[in-house]
Amino acid sequence: MQQTDYIIELAGHKKEDLSVCLGCRICASVCTVNDLEINANPQELLMNLFLGLNVDKDDPLVRFCTNCYRCTSACPWQIRIPDIVRGLRENLSTGSVFEHAIIESINIWGRMYEPYVFLRASLFVLKDGWARHMFRMMEYVINIVRSIHVPHKVKRI
Amino acid sequence: MNILIIGGGISGISAAKVVLKEGNTVIIIESASEPGGLMARIANCRIGFKTFFDEIRDNPLLQVIKDSTISAVTRKENYFTVTLNNRKTLKADRVVIATGLIPYDPAEYRGRRLLASLDYDAIIDQRNEEMPADFNKIAFVLCVGSRSKEYPLCSSVCCSYTLREIKWTLQRAKPDISVFYNDFRLFGQEFFLEDMYRNAGVHFIRTNSRYFEEDDTGVTMRYFTDGKLKQERFNYVVLATALRPNPGLAELSRLFGFTLNKYGFVNENEPLTTDAEGVYVSGGALEPMNIKDSILTGFGAGMLALKGTEFPAEAVSNHDLFYKEQETEIVIPVGNFASCLFYLGTENIMNRMFYEYISSKFIDTARNMKKSGKTVYFLTKNLITPSYEELIYEKARQEGIIFIHLEEGESIECDGTSVKIMGGVKLKLALNAEKIIRFDDYIALIKDKEFLSVYRSEPQLRWAPTKWGRKRYHVGFIRHPRAGRWEPREILGALGEMMLDKEEERVLPHVNEERCSGCGSCQSSCPHGAIELANQERQIAVFGPNLSTEIRIAHIKEDICVGCGLCASTCPSDVISFNSN
Repeated sequence: MQQTDYIIELAGHKKEDLSVCLGCRICASVCTVNDLEINANPQELLMNLFLGLNVDKDDPLVRFCTNCYRCTSACPWQIRIPDIVRGLRENLSTGSVFEHAIIESINIWGRMYEPYVFLRASLFVLKDGWARHMFRMMEYVINIVRSIHVPHKVKRI
Repeated sequence: MNILIIGGGISGISAAKVVLKEGNTVIIIESASEPGGLMARIANCRIGFKTFFDEIRDNPLLQVIKDSTISAVTRKENYFTVTLNNRKTLKADRVVIATGLIPYDPAEYRGRRLLASLDYDAIIDQRNEEMPADFNKIAFVLCVGSRSKEYPLCSSVCCSYTLREIKWTLQRAKPDISVFYNDFRLFGQEFFLEDMYRNAGVHFIRTNSRYFEEDDTGVTMRYFTDGKLKQERFNYVVLATALRPNPGLAELSRLFGFTLNKYGFVNENEPLTTDAEGVYVSGGALEPMNIKDSILTGFGAGMLALKGTEFPAEAVSNHDLFYKEQETEIVIPVGNFASCLFYLGTENIMNRMFYEYISSKFIDTARNMKKSGKTVYFLTKNLITPSYEELIYEKARQEGIIFIHLEEGESIECDGTSVKIMGGVKLKLALNAEKIIRFDDYIALIKDKEFLSVYRSEPQLRWAPTKWGRKRYHVGFIRHPRAGRWEPREILGALGEMMLDKEEERVLPHVNEERCSGCGSCQSSCPHGAIELANQERQIAVFGPNLSTEIRIAHIKEDICVGCGLCASTCPSDVISFNSN
């Protein structure tokens, strides 16, 4: 239950704004996550939170929610479910090393300071990221290198 | 006395009927070109309204002013001077507000195949000779525009109306029908009707949807049930739209000086009476209500407008015609436990008519328990909180009672203090509660009450809502197990109905007392309780001294008997008969 209260506080809402849910599952019918995995149900996520059950990292909403607020605009009570999903992501620390580094740099300098981000992230890359993510990173780098193009020459008259 | 009725719908016409009975003059102001209101827009109710209105249409004391609205009102000592939009002025002693309800327009969804329920009604109208060519799959989506943050009341009639639309559809065609609902809020006998259609193959799905993609041939709809998203195509999707208060009420409240509540309905301090003196209110201006209740409140407001508010109290104390069942006090134990689980669901159709009554009792108890710091779970199969009761349900949700809504086919299984939800795939849920309170445990308390027979035998639409039998008017808890504010309204309505009553010719049965054996079969067959077995002294000795004994003989109470003839047909020895002369 403490975790639930923490998440709701993180989302910046009062508890009674969220517990007015009618259980109609309109949110699930419009949710775009359902195009990826057909069992994403924001209403059940909300109910599990109020029952004090744990939501794990594999929940499709935690993984794929794009914060589009379609559920909120369709919901009869305008419950802001993406806010809760963001709170959950924070709580389960699903964010990548880069995300954390960016947030930290914003906390320190008030803006994204790239050298700091790369420094923080490079620690991860060197420590345990490289071996696991090597292939993906190589692919990514090759794609970037391929797509690099020199700007056209501008003809001056 | 001259009485002005604003609104020519069913409620206004009912009020006019009562007023005309005593020879007073009535002016009805109708904003449309023809009286009828919302009821006459329903194809199958149009004839009903017409016959109801035709009884007073040609009355010389009635004046119906069509196509007009009120632009100014001045108030002298004891009468109103009303100016219409065509500068005509009228004088009236009392005013009845019967502006009725306006259906919500779901403009963001509406299309050619995505219809509001009244538009769909025009398609299945009996006057259309042919149904549309592609009429194979129909979906009904409930609760559109009601029970939301914008308008938190429940419209209380859409579920019943959807059930009627299913009935009228199946009378004309054989489409595959699916109904998407949150709670199916039916009353009385309608649960039997629902069960009938369920067995006939109508799909009832406890979920809701707002994902519609309309094209030329149909609507693609997505809905979430059984733990996964489903996509289905329908030829037509019908949105059961909410009924909202008439926006014209705001202008009327300014002119006449009565107040509105924040939802736009009239504030009712005394039953059927507004804050302004001499202005009464009936029908849909009070709250969302069905046709029967509109007639009831119409009769009541008409009666009040005639006799004034002082009259009812003295009339009620004098009357012995009211029949009122004593409400059973349902006491739910508040013991020393930390968590509690309510289960609001029953498999027995006979008990479903008590969903409304038990829902409100359970929610009240659950809120009290929550206030004393207990964990409260509330499992529902169907939860009925119509119109203003929905606000109490909303408060209960906000206070942190955990409501879990079971889908079709899901049920609970109790094992000591743990409860499992069985049958569905959605919930892998096991709850722990020290105290489990079930719907079925409390039904026994109201089981043998007499009102059950009344409530079950209730016809679909009643032109005399409180009258049951001769000189017997059911008011209060007995007519509908519903909220307390209805009881005074029903008393007023019954008083209005008494004024409309006329003595009907009837043929009374005759008991051949010589041959009656007093078996009592007639007594149990009489639906109105008009037969009593009275003791009669009879001489039995043939020789010797005079010896007599008391034997039981059927005796007919002529006041109550309606002359239906059931007793004559049940009598095993043809003792009861109807004289042909």
